[in-house]
Amino acid sequence: MTTNTADGGAPGAAGASRAARGARRVAMLAVRKLWFIALILVVWWLVTALGLVPAYKLPSPGDVLGALENAIRERELLGALWDTLLRLVTGWAIGVACAVALGLLTGAVPFLEDGIRPVLAGLQAVPTIAFLPLAILWFGFNATAVLVITAFGTFKPMALATYGAIHQVPPTLKMAGRAMGARGLFYQRTLVLPAIVPSLVTGLKLSWSFAWRSLMAAEIIVSGTTGLGGVLELGREINAIDIVMAVILIILVVGILFEQLVFARLERWVNRRWGLVGAR
Amino acid sequence: MTAEPLALRIDGVSKAYPNRGLALAPTTIEVRRGEFVSLVGPSGCGKSTLLGMAAGLLAPDSGTVEAMGQRVGGPGRERAIVFQDAALMPWLNVRHNVEYGLRAQRVPKAERRTRVAEALEMVHLDRVADRHPHELSGGMRQRVAIARALVLRPEILLMDEPFSALDAQTRTVLQDELQRIWLETRPAVVFVTHNLMEAAFLSDTVYLLSAGPGRIVRRYEVTVPRPREESDPRLVDIRQDMLDRLRSEVNAAAGRGDPDLAPADALAA
Ligand SMILES: Nc1ncnc2c1ncn2[C@@H]1O[C@H](COP(=O)(O)OP(=O)(O)OP(=O)(O)O)[C@@H](O)[C@H]1O
Ligand SMILES: [Mg+2]
Repeated sequence: MTTNTADGGAPGAAGASRAARGARRVAMLAVRKLWFIALILVVWWLVTALGLVPAYKLPSPGDVLGALENAIRERELLGALWDTLLRLVTGWAIGVACAVALGLLTGAVPFLEDGIRPVLAGLQAVPTIAFLPLAILWFGFNATAVLVITAFGTFKPMALATYGAIHQVPPTLKMAGRAMGARGLFYQRTLVLPAIVPSLVTGLKLSWSFAWRSLMAAEIIVSGTTGLGGVLELGREINAIDIVMAVILIILVVGILFEQLVFARLERWVNRRWGLVGAR
Repeated sequence: MTAEPLALRIDGVSKAYPNRGLALAPTTIEVRRGEFVSLVGPSGCGKSTLLGMAAGLLAPDSGTVEAMGQRVGGPGRERAIVFQDAALMPWLNVRHNVEYGLRAQRVPKAERRTRVAEALEMVHLDRVADRHPHELSGGMRQRVAIARALVLRPEILLMDEPFSALDAQTRTVLQDELQRIWLETRPAVVFVTHNLMEAAFLSDTVYLLSAGPGRIVRRYEVTVPRPREESDPRLVDIRQDMLDRLRSEVNAAAGRGDPDLAPADALAA
């Protein structure tokens, strides 16, 4: 931490060595986080370069990269990505908000929870996409139906996660709040909601992956909506496996970025704020 | 009625938990305004249960609780409670933890600020007001829990083993502080403890409860003037008497084969 500035003549040297150390740290981090991806790429490349699998079944990394570039230039892939992400975030946010609100409102009343919870648990076994025909009949063969399905796919696991989290709030904390006079909406907003945040983070991650699943399935089926699902379906129709692979790659990269940039940070912040063990 | 106004009147209150039998036999305790009362008794004899009913957090199976002349049906502004494990809100800093009850009771902001500052000063926590609970020692956390109760200016302060998780030194310091604060603010206190010396040192009256289901077996009046010293021979005598009683209580219960109870020697602490 302390840099040697006693030899006041060379602040530049100290700065340079600090920069070098910083660069080394970044390099180490990159190696730690990227070695597995590099390994996969090498194996993939070897398999295709040695001709072990025909190219119409598995295109080479270079082909996929080319298709990616092509698709970005000619098929407005970035626009499709943007539409999908927007739909994903909106649907997920709506699903999360509804689930947490339902959990808080009904988790406080055993009669309501006892009635609702088994239905939610049962619905968990029904794939969200099974509701798409219903959504299409109600909202039309359009983006609204897709959005509703995404929100619903988020809602189911998130609502159960919220119930689970509410039951984990320490009883003395609840008693302390009630003894101080907290009641009704104030109690839910200022005690239960913040108390369940750490356990909700897991639910947020889980429901995020459920949102992706339902969104992709719905986009593939509801042709005509712009988005990655539409591009996937098009790739299949014209037998362009490199495009299909390129889209899968994009989804993978988005997944990694979200995990690293959004959820990992959220988790760190919650751990620090809530003083949980293992906080760094 | 009696000439002396009562803060708390626990009248024939009992409680059984489902499938557990009776936790507390019908019990009557009267606490005068400004009186310091302790409850001691073997583990599992229903002390926390009794306090929970006084706080309005548990409904009694029989009997009634009256606080400041009003029938208790739930938590109320005239009562505040301190739990053994502090039960602070981990996401709020010390200041906001102490402020929480005032917000719940819709006290205006300016008044909240002065009352919180006052309460923090009383427990010597003004310098750590911006820290979060996990950045505090166990003793500090317990002080926050006490400040959080004091800030509500309760006429009845209920304390459930507030010092039992602390080391001996911290405990002594907090006992002295509690005695000083009580002398300054004079709420009625119902204090649950396993520590007989602590009970004798702090209390005007000590109730000894029998092994579960709990009932009162003896009442001690401690008339030693305050401020007191723990080494006071009169307090030592009272403690010894309580210890003998408790030993026979626990041994009697052990003869009945009650699995909830610790061996008698654990009480000598
Ligand atoms: N929520 C509950 N459900 C079932 N039984 C309970 C519950 N709470 C307490 N009990 C039982 O009731 C009895 C009295 O419990 P209580 O917590 O009041 O004892 P206590 O005197 O405070 O004990 P300790 O000194 O160990 O804190 C015990 O036998 C306990 O097992
Ligand atoms: Mg107890």
